[in-house]
Amino acid sequence: MTTSDEAVAVLTVEAPPVARERSRWRLALPVGVLAIPMLAFLTYFFFYPALALLFSSIQTQDSRGIIGRPFTLAHYARLVNVELYARVLWTTLRISIITSALATVLAYPVALVMVKSRPMVTRVITLIVIAPLIVSVVVRGYGWQLVLQNGPKGMLNWILMTLHVVDAPISVLYTETAVVIGSLHVFFPMMVLPLASALGKIDPNLEDAARMLGAPWWKVFLRVTLPLSMPGFVAGFTLVFSLTAGSFVIPAILGGASAVMLGNLIEQQIFVVYDWPFGAAIAVVLVGLVLAVNGVSMWLLEGRRLRRPD
Amino acid sequence: MDERFSGFGAFILYTITAGMMLFILTPLLLVMAASVSDSYFVTFPPQGFTLKWYAKVLQDRDFLEAMRLSILLALGTTVGSLLFGVPAAFALVRGHFVGLAAIKGFLLSPLIFPALITGLALLQVLNKLGSTDARLNLLIGHIVVTSPYVIRTVVTSLQLVDENLEDAARTLGASRLRTFWRVTLPQIASGVAAGGLFAFMVSFDNYPVTMWLANSEYSPVPLVLMRQLVNVFDPSVPAMSTIIILMAMVGVLILEKLVGLRRALAA
Repeated sequence: MTTSDEAVAVLTVEAPPVARERSRWRLALPVGVLAIPMLAFLTYFFFYPALALLFSSIQTQDSRGIIGRPFTLAHYARLVNVELYARVLWTTLRISIITSALATVLAYPVALVMVKSRPMVTRVITLIVIAPLIVSVVVRGYGWQLVLQNGPKGMLNWILMTLHVVDAPISVLYTETAVVIGSLHVFFPMMVLPLASALGKIDPNLEDAARMLGAPWWKVFLRVTLPLSMPGFVAGFTLVFSLTAGSFVIPAILGGASAVMLGNLIEQQIFVVYDWPFGAAIAVVLVGLVLAVNGVSMWLLEGRRLRRPD
Repeated sequence: MDERFSGFGAFILYTITAGMMLFILTPLLLVMAASVSDSYFVTFPPQGFTLKWYAKVLQDRDFLEAMRLSILLALGTTVGSLLFGVPAAFALVRGHFVGLAAIKGFLLSPLIFPALITGLALLQVLNKLGSTDARLNLLIGHIVVTSPYVIRTVVTSLQLVDENLEDAARTLGASRLRTFWRVTLPQIASGVAAGGLFAFMVSFDNYPVTMWLANSEYSPVPLVLMRQLVNVFDPSVPAMSTIIILMAMVGVLILEKLVGLRRALAA
């Protein structure tokens, strides 16, 4: 986002006004026409289905599986009032918030090292952070299943017992902790990348000035670096939160029955129970949650537009 | 660039960074190690060395069938999302019309919408339409998810195109099409290729949309792998996973060559 903004800025500054004028007559057909196929495609296969889903979440399904009237909000009430389902909602929120917070704390050092080291170090770190992004989530979940395996043959337990940290094997797999670990692994790059690009934009002179004036390193970080990197933090936190809240694979592989998230509940309602309206209602709640977080973050990024060093 | 960390702060930074690198790599390395270890169950530390699991995978009809489906689907998705995405990117960069920002937001909206729900919503509509061909449904779903990525990479590379070169070509008598083909396209080729490759990889690995639209007859690789993990015990899963990891690594290296990784993925 930011890189393209700058490219636009550079182009508008450097393109002579003549070229701007000319680009208008160069195109016989208005260039906007080129967006129509994709607009039509997304309207039909993305926008309309989303609205249809919203619509079916306030309808009733009869015994033959036909969805229609009467209109009702009962499905939403059920999600909040039935303890079993309400717990899933809270688990989802808890896992998403803890994962985002952990990702933030751990991504700052990595992003700082990424931005401020020698090119060689930066390249290696970037590669290690980004490469797993392309590896299937199922495979990464499976990797953690092997690491966290309950019993003395699991890697984590073997290490802990060899170092005499614990005497008996601990059970991490199929707990909320395992889901947080897996989610952190899968979505960590989404936090590092925006942070690194925000940190890269900070004028080093500002940090140097603080240091010259006698601020210790932690104070430089807290009073200069941290406030200036806020846009990156907000963008990263939003991404990690949204992706974790909407995940299915990691809780399915690492959480088992003890850490069911909204995504797993939706799948169960649709494929096992065949309760479409209820599944749709849970989906709407999940989308609402994600869009709300995205809305707040946009508002923060727009409202607290930090002056970029020119 | 100079190192501008010193003392205790630097020590903390480097320790945490090294720890995170280890955290990122460990599960993948363990999967790879398990794929060549001799024991029937995965144990730590891994025992022995064998390639028999790979031999088993390469004779596994279900897995090979899923591979074929996934590759064809990813190829179709790549073509489809380029056909929709490249022209749309042109409209966004070169167009001057009312509501441009809103249209851009709309075209990129599948990126922030939970993919799991994109797939579910699509399933409901396709059911209503009576579209029962899983391959077609999967193709539609994957194009919805991947085309915004194509738009993003192509928009970025289009913004760097020097329009003066096009003016020069037009002035020298080249037709509009020829100008596009010989002047504009070469300048955005790496961006288009990166967008296409990205679409391919996103499609190949996609689970949240795929799980709704696949069926027992047509199941792409991620679904088959998940089934092997959850429902049956299969000692060749680490070998399957390693094949997928290695394919991903090749993709990453090509992306890095094309446009640089951070540019390809930067939001």
